[in-house]
Formats: sequence, C-alpha cells, structure tokens
Amino acid sequence: MTTLIYGAGNLLVSDEGFGVHLVEYLRRHWSFPEAVELLDGGTLGIMTGYRVEEVDHLILIDVLDAEGSPGEIRRYDLQDLLLDRLPVKLSPHQIGIQEMLSLSALRGRLPQSATLFGVIPASYEAGIELSPPLAAALGSVADLVVAELERLGHRLISHRRTNATC
Amino acid sequence: MARITLDPVTRIEGHLRIDVEVNGGRVSKAWSSAQMWRGIETILKGRPPEDAWIYAQRFCGVCTTVHAISSIRSVEHALNVEVPLNAQYIRNIIMAQHSVQDHIVHFYHLSALDWVDVVSALKADPAATARLAQSISDWPGNSETEFRAVKEKLTGFVNTGRLGIFSTGYWGHPAMQLPPEANLMAVTHYLSALDMQRKSAQAVAILGGKNPHIQNLCVGGVATAVNVDNLATLNMERIAALRTLMSETRDYVKKVYLPDMLAIASAYRDWFGIGAGVTNYLAVPEMVEDTRHQEFALPGAIINGGDLNGARILKDHQDPKLIGDISESVACAWYKGSASLHPWEGETEPLYTDFEDNGKYSWCKAPRLAGRPVQVGPTAQILAGYAAGQPQIKALVDSTCRTLKIRPEQLGSTMGRLVARALRASLMADLSLHYLDKLVENLARGDKSYANHTQIPKGEYRGVGFHEAPRGTLSHWVVIEDRKIKNYQAVVPSTWNSSPRDEQGTPGPYEASLVNNPVAVEEKPLEVLRTIHSFDPCIACAVHTIDPDGKEITRVKVL
Repeated sequence: MTTLIYGAGNLLVSDEGFGVHLVEYLRRHWSFPEAVELLDGGTLGIMTGYRVEEVDHLILIDVLDAEGSPGEIRRYDLQDLLLDRLPVKLSPHQIGIQEMLSLSALRGRLPQSATLFGVIPASYEAGIELSPPLAAALGSVADLVVAELERLGHRLISHRRTNATC
Repeated sequence: MARITLDPVTRIEGHLRIDVEVNGGRVSKAWSSAQMWRGIETILKGRPPEDAWIYAQRFCGVCTTVHAISSIRSVEHALNVEVPLNAQYIRNIIMAQHSVQDHIVHFYHLSALDWVDVVSALKADPAATARLAQSISDWPGNSETEFRAVKEKLTGFVNTGRLGIFSTGYWGHPAMQLPPEANLMAVTHYLSALDMQRKSAQAVAILGGKNPHIQNLCVGGVATAVNVDNLATLNMERIAALRTLMSETRDYVKKVYLPDMLAIASAYRDWFGIGAGVTNYLAVPEMVEDTRHQEFALPGAIINGGDLNGARILKDHQDPKLIGDISESVACAWYKGSASLHPWEGETEPLYTDFEDNGKYSWCKAPRLAGRPVQVGPTAQILAGYAAGQPQIKALVDSTCRTLKIRPEQLGSTMGRLVARALRASLMADLSLHYLDKLVENLARGDKSYANHTQIPKGEYRGVGFHEAPRGTLSHWVVIEDRKIKNYQAVVPSTWNSSPRDEQGTPGPYEASLVNNPVAVEEKPLEVLRTIHSFDPCIACAVHTIDPDGKEITRVKVL
C-alpha cells in the first residue's frame, strides 16, 4: 500500500507555494517509510498527473480559491475533487489536478482515496516566504497529513520537539 | 458588431484574456492581455548567480527545465565558460525529451479537443475505427478491442453525467468536422498519450535526478556523475533504461501522434489559410555539439514577412542581430516608462490603469526584434531549419507538404502551427536517441569530464542564455556585479507571441492571427480558441489554486 503526498504550488509566489513548503516541513520533522512518497509537484498539473495513478492513496496539499480567512484549513475527499461535484470550466488550471483525477477515473486508474488539505492564502506577491498566517498553518496542516498517514496504516518517526519553532 | 471577451483561454496554468470584435462572422480586431503581473524576476536580484537556475526553473508552471537551461547558459555566457561534451549531450537529451513530453501533452490534452468532438465519438463503430486507424499506422494499440473498450467507458461516463474533463468542449459546434470514427480514434489516443508523457518524464528524471524540477545543473556543466561501470552514477544500466523509454516515446510520436495530426489536418484543410498573423519569425540555433557553443545541430534564423529565401541564418547565439536588436516596449503594457528597453537595461515597475482599448491593456511587455513583432515556436523553428537546409527538417517538411498538399509557408497558420509542432516532436524524439548514442561514444573514448567547475569572479559581467524551448525562443539576461545578480530579465516565448501592441500600434502575433478568423456562433467562439491554442499559450505562469465551488471562471461575454 503506497501513498503519495503531493505538494502543489509555485515557490516564487509567496503563499501560492504553500504545498511545496509543507512537503519541505514534513521532510524536516518526520522520517517516512518507503511506501510514502513526498513530491514537490510545483504547478505542473497534467505534466505530473501520472504520479497519482501509481499509488493507492493520494494526499494533496494546495491553496484554495475560496472565501474565508487566511490560514483557514479545509478538507476535501476524492468525490469532492472529481469534476461532477466541481464543474470548473475553462479555468486557469483547466487541466490541473482535479481534471487529472477525472482523466484517471476515465482510464480506470484512480487511487483508492484522495484527500485534499487546502488553505486559504493571504498573499500572491512575488517572494519565496510564506505570509505569517500561512507560515503558522504549516504545523497544523502537517499534523493533519500525519494523522491521515497513520490512519492509512503508515508508521512515521517524528523528529519534532515540543518546543520546535520552525 | 459584437465584442467577445474570453478570460482566461488557456487550458493550463496562466491568465490570458482575449478580446475580439466580430463583424459579419469574422474577427475584425483583437486584443491579447496577460491578466497577472509576473514580477518574479525581481526575486533574483542580490542572489548568487550560480543559484539563479534553481529559482528560474520555478518561473513557469509547466516548463521548468527550459528556464533552468536558459539561466545556466546566461551565467556561462557572462563568464565565457566552456561546457564539456558529456554535459552538452546530457543537456541536449533533457531538452529533447522535455520537448517530446510537452508536445504530446499540447496536442492531445490542450488542443485536440478544439477539433475532436467527444460526444460524436460515442456514435463510432469500433470495427470501422480500427480499419481507419490501421490504414494510417501499424501501431499495435489500434485494435477493435481497444476502441470498443474506450467507447464503452466513455458511454458510461456520459450516461452518469460525468463528462468531467470533457465538459468544457463545444460539442456539436458546426465547426466540428471529423467523422465519429476519427473522433473515437483521437479520444482513445488522448487517453493512451498519458502513458507516453510519463515515459518522457521518467527519462528526464533519470538524467536530471528529479522531475519536475531537475537537480543536475551547475555553472560549467552538469552534476550528473558519469561512469559506465559505477552503480551510483549514470551507468550502462541507466543508459539502457533511457534507451528503452525514449524508443517507446519515439514510436508513439511517429506511429500515433504524427498520423493523428495528419488525419485531423486533412479534415480541416481550410485552417491552413487562417491565422497566419505575424509572419516575421525567430528561432535560435539549438542542440549544442561542441564545448564552446559554436556548433549546433539545428540552425536558427530571422525570417521577415515569411520570406524564406531572404532569411538571415543564425549559426550560433552570438549574432549581433540577435543580442543587440531585442527590445521590450511598454507603451501598451501596465508598466512605467515609455522607452523600449534592451533586456539588460530592462525595468519592471508596474503601473496599472484599466483595460484601455487604445492605451495600456496587458501585463505582458511587447518584445520586438529590430522594432518588429516576431512569432516564435515550432513554426519558426521548423521554417528556420528549412530555410537553412537542415537535412532532417527539410525531409520532414517536404514529405508532410506533399501529403497535405500545402506549401512550407503555410506552416504559418492555425493548423500549420499544430503540424509544425508534431514535426518538431518527431525530430526531438530522434535527437534524444542520437545524443544518447553520442554520449555513449564519447564515454567510450575515455572522456569522463562533465563540468568545468567555475568560481564567480569579482567585477561586472553581462550574459544572455538563449534556448529554443517547446514554445519558442527563450532568453534569460543577467547582469552580475561582485558575485551578485544586479539585474535579471527573462524574455519568454509566450511574451513574444502574446505581446500587446507597441508604440507604433502594431499588434502582436496572437492579435494579428485572430484578424479574419471566422466566428460561426458568437456565444461559442471555438474558432478563436483554435487559433490561440495553436500557439500553445502559457501566460503569466504559475498561479495555481483550487476552486472548491466550481464557479465558472471564464466569461464569454458577447456585447
């Protein structure tokens, strides 16, 4: 049983790079078994989409284009992500991850489960740092990802000390 | 007169807005507007030049390796660094395989559905589809069983209301002309093409250490240790794996992509007469074959007004017409200043107005070559090679033109751009294997070097890194002062093509190509999308959010 943690986003556009920052955060604070793969997916969408067909479970981390306060975390499952619930039309990421999952469904190669942890961004300014509310959300989203991995049966080793600040 | 606004029109990351005025069923005027500011070059100022490529490969949401290559070349050019042959060959293979992947994805996943009607495929007879496919190719996947299976899956999707990824198409549009069997063949390959782009990505990962973001470049070469006998390096086993992957993608390009392209082109021959637009073309030489960047397998050229005989052939990246004549106008772009500046002097200071039809209307600057707008991309690349008499390109173009009964100049059209891209994919698939052979030969001769490790000296240096990327000519311009980046500008292919008007009011390639396009149904401007998608637009790369409410983002407004 394999799981892919797919961090999406652009590292040069501040909060847009949240998913990539989170993958780095996870690498720093936990050791992962071989069956768990961490991917800095950038903003490749369909160009990396085939990776989701290679695993049993998918955990996606991305920013959300939604109303709410910066740093707010939302969780979605596979059925939410498939396009019959989210009929995006001609969107900028028209063949992004959501569309990729639909394509995999048509190919009969969907993972058994997919979970998206999305956060609401504060800033899309050029810059390689997260805004304060999103930097503060890293730990909470990481905990959610780790809990999901454990629920799936993966065993992780934490290096995070209780007083860790980063 | 109707005014149609499409926002955004790209099928992949990027914010591009197109406005057209339609008179009597034809476009009379067009505006191309990038809707997001890319100030990301400013991130590089003050950083060490040897790290620039790591940041630069995040410039674009889709083409990561191309920015890495251009960036590293700009620093090598500034410091006049030689690059060992092994490193050049490895870079060439990465570039070629990236192109194969990119072109396959563009054709099947980003543009084919402008021409292929998925709903019509449901009416196809799988046996007749197999006969059609087998008449144009001996690809073993073209069986009746395969077509029947895809038809059943599609029918299931449609019956449950799950058209999903296909829901964006203009099905049943009067401009859709393929018979049901051709539609089923194309949709089947749309699904199998994903397996092929995976193989190209795996090949890039073997050499680049990682994909999507390669890890193996350094100023002066590559960081890929090369030793055919050592397990931890690029050894014979990995070379054999590369050969298998790249042979499979080559077969797919030649036996599936190219025949599909020719079949679709034959059914839409009128589109060779639509969408030419700007017929000034630029392509730089690519595929380096020496250590000093003087010998290239693919020549470049500057072509004015579609005149192939009068083309200025570019033999390397040092041509003064190339380095000296590029400027960027901000007359119609949301930036301060009015002068056209050379990229080494380039400024990026935003000044947003509103969308002004006769003023500023885009975040994209207007690059010009000797004051002229220029089209870049596969058509420019193929025509440059053809004008220079490059043997493989000449053979490809001549046979394709015979099959389609077109002239080479007609590759400058909406359908021509798609055909030129397929020809380039075929060329790149061959070159991938060619440079793998060259690498193995060079290693066998005992050359083990893969980098001239370079220290950045004190003082001021200027460099430019040119690269012929899948979407066309890319250049990164760097000014280094005392080991730090003082200025950095990237002139990306889509900037050339999506350029707004300049101070003379001359439209850019997208804008010019749309004029005279037919528009049969104003609420469904499929023909406008066909022409814009033929350029493979990739604008203001890399804003990427998930929209949980599924709100319709595109506004197709008819005023």
